[in-house]
Amino acid sequence: MIVPLEHIIILAGLLFFLGMGGLLAWRANLIMMLVCIEVMLNAVMLVFVGGSARWGNADGQLFAIFIMALTSAEVSLALAMVVYLHRRKRTVDTDVFSEMKG
Amino acid sequence: MSLYLALILLLPLSGGIFNALLGRHLPRRMGETIACGVIWGAFICAVLAFLRFTGPVTISYASWLAAFDFQAPAALYLDQLSLSLTLMITFVCGLIHLYSVGYMRGEQDVPRYFALLNIFVFAMLVLVLAENLPFLYLGWEGVGFCSYALICFWYTEEKNATAGRKDFIVTRIGDTAFGIAIVWMFHLADSVSITHLNTMGPALPAGTVTALGLLLLIGAAGKSAQLPLSVWLPDAMAGPTPVSAQIHAATMVTAGVYLLARMFPLIGSSPAALAAIAVTGCVTAFYAATCACCQRDLKRILAYSTISQIGYMVLGVGAGALTASTFHLLTHAFFKALLFLGAGCVITALHHQQDIYHMGGLKSRLPAIYWPFLAGALCLAGFPLTSGFFSKDAILGAVLERGGPLYTGLFGLGLLTALLTAFYTFRMVFVVFHGGEENPPFEKGGAGGISPAGAGHHRLPLVMTWTLIPLAILGLVGGMLNLPEYVAGHGTLDIFLEGISGFARHAPAQFSDDIISLVFAVTACLAGLGLAWSRYTGARRNAVLAAEEAGSARSDFFLNGWYLDRLYRLLFISPFVWLGRALWKGVDEAGIDGTLNGLARFTARLGELPAAWSSGRVATSLYGLAGGVCVVLLYVAWLIAG
Repeated sequence: MIVPLEHIIILAGLLFFLGMGGLLAWRANLIMMLVCIEVMLNAVMLVFVGGSARWGNADGQLFAIFIMALTSAEVSLALAMVVYLHRRKRTVDTDVFSEMKG
Repeated sequence: MSLYLALILLLPLSGGIFNALLGRHLPRRMGETIACGVIWGAFICAVLAFLRFTGPVTISYASWLAAFDFQAPAALYLDQLSLSLTLMITFVCGLIHLYSVGYMRGEQDVPRYFALLNIFVFAMLVLVLAENLPFLYLGWEGVGFCSYALICFWYTEEKNATAGRKDFIVTRIGDTAFGIAIVWMFHLADSVSITHLNTMGPALPAGTVTALGLLLLIGAAGKSAQLPLSVWLPDAMAGPTPVSAQIHAATMVTAGVYLLARMFPLIGSSPAALAAIAVTGCVTAFYAATCACCQRDLKRILAYSTISQIGYMVLGVGAGALTASTFHLLTHAFFKALLFLGAGCVITALHHQQDIYHMGGLKSRLPAIYWPFLAGALCLAGFPLTSGFFSKDAILGAVLERGGPLYTGLFGLGLLTALLTAFYTFRMVFVVFHGGEENPPFEKGGAGGISPAGAGHHRLPLVMTWTLIPLAILGLVGGMLNLPEYVAGHGTLDIFLEGISGFARHAPAQFSDDIISLVFAVTACLAGLGLAWSRYTGARRNAVLAAEEAGSARSDFFLNGWYLDRLYRLLFISPFVWLGRALWKGVDEAGIDGTLNGLARFTARLGELPAAWSSGRVATSLYGLAGGVCVVLLYVAWLIAG
């Protein structure tokens, strides 16, 4: 294997925390938050694929494909909700939606 | 006999229940007729029982309380003592019921009044006729309840309700002692039957008998208004006057004397208990007589005189002179009922004026009341040849005969009390009835006074004045019941009662003691009468009355009953109120409630800390998620490093 697993994990870690940081920082825009979630999911997929290559086991790749399917479903649903939320308050700033306050 | 006894009890009870349930829906006249009819029916049954009476009988009607070896059936015991009391109670109460019809003429709520009055009689008859102590206690408490309900009959006035509660609570103290005595006697004898217990006296240790005697004495003191539990009776005047008459003459206050006389064979073997009884009675008699001398409320004078006369009866029991006590109880019932009913007439005639200083010169205005009232007063004062003279003299003679420094001292105190009795009785008579009406001692103010023209008189219903006459006759000639030995050999009542254990006649004493006590008693009575005469009639009347009305520290002392109420307030009520307030404010509110409230506030604060996190924003949840991830990662890093 050309790329060692450690590098992949470090890259995946960087991607994950970049995604998470974006998620926390970009609250003003729901769509950007979804993009950040995609970045985090891709980091996870990268670990699966790297692990699959390292140990020569197809399970990891299988999971990566599974996550892709899941992500597409999630994004389609989430974008529908974004459209709905935008219709309600003319904004996609998540801080405005605080009706769940207990 | 069984039927008569059952009817004696059931007639008043059924009358009471009938008036309580249906009285409101029926014509007033019908309720009154039934209430009076049942009592007179009971009297007729008592007379029939008297005619058929051959000896003591015990009749058990039904099982009432039964558990293991505890048996308290609904059983009645009729002997000479309970028979004579039953006759007196039904007769006097019958007259009082008739009088009530006139007295309550203008009142509302008559069904309640008559229902309670009937049940009062029923409870007293149960008390007198009961064969065992729990059944007697039922009547005892029934009497207490009915007196409470009748004293605060006009309960819309705070004062009356307070008087009723005072009666109920003070007598409850005595009842507790009596209840303890019952349980103890059952523990000792495995029986609560009075006849059985009375045979136990010699078998018990002397200390136990003394303790039982003292407990019974406290119970009797509560019901019979003896020191130190006498404070309720003067306030019990808040009720309607016939109720006062019934409480004082026939039903309530004689219960204690009856109890002591009934249990005498048991407690009589303890000289200490008897001495305590005698001292209580004599001191009470003296105390109440001094108080009566300075009262200004007509009914309160009579109330204190009742306490005083009951004190004589208790003294008689303490001296072992049960027949004399019973004799005085019977004659006292007649003349005290007479005096109260007469006082009720006076008060009604004067538009509910009770202050004797606002009365005067009524002799010519109300002759139909004056003469019976005078008869009652003569009896109360122990004027020679009236019934009160013979019965009081019998008690004093028995005390003197008993000998010893204690009883001789009590005899002296009793004589002094007799003098005071004659004085306050005739003070009352002279102030109320004598004096010129054209020269009223005081300005008659308000609606209560007699208007100068005499137009303010109520027309008294005839039934109110007529009921006085049989009582007056009985009061005057009641002495015939039991003439002393130096007059007629053996008294009728002596012979009638001597069959009961404890009532046996004393060995024929020398008449000298009797003559001595007779001379002293007559002297005391006449001295008191003369003193009252010199003060309250003739030229000095107005000056004396003005001085008394002005009052002084000494007369206030007696007017307020030696400040006993204030003493009890200081000794018992104030500490209790203080303790209650401390427990309420300090322990309950500050301690228990404070701790709970503090805990609740603390928990609420604690809850507010995490509650800040539930802002409802996505961002907050995300920070939480991120923080959690960081913590997990740090932990994993620590594990790896470690």
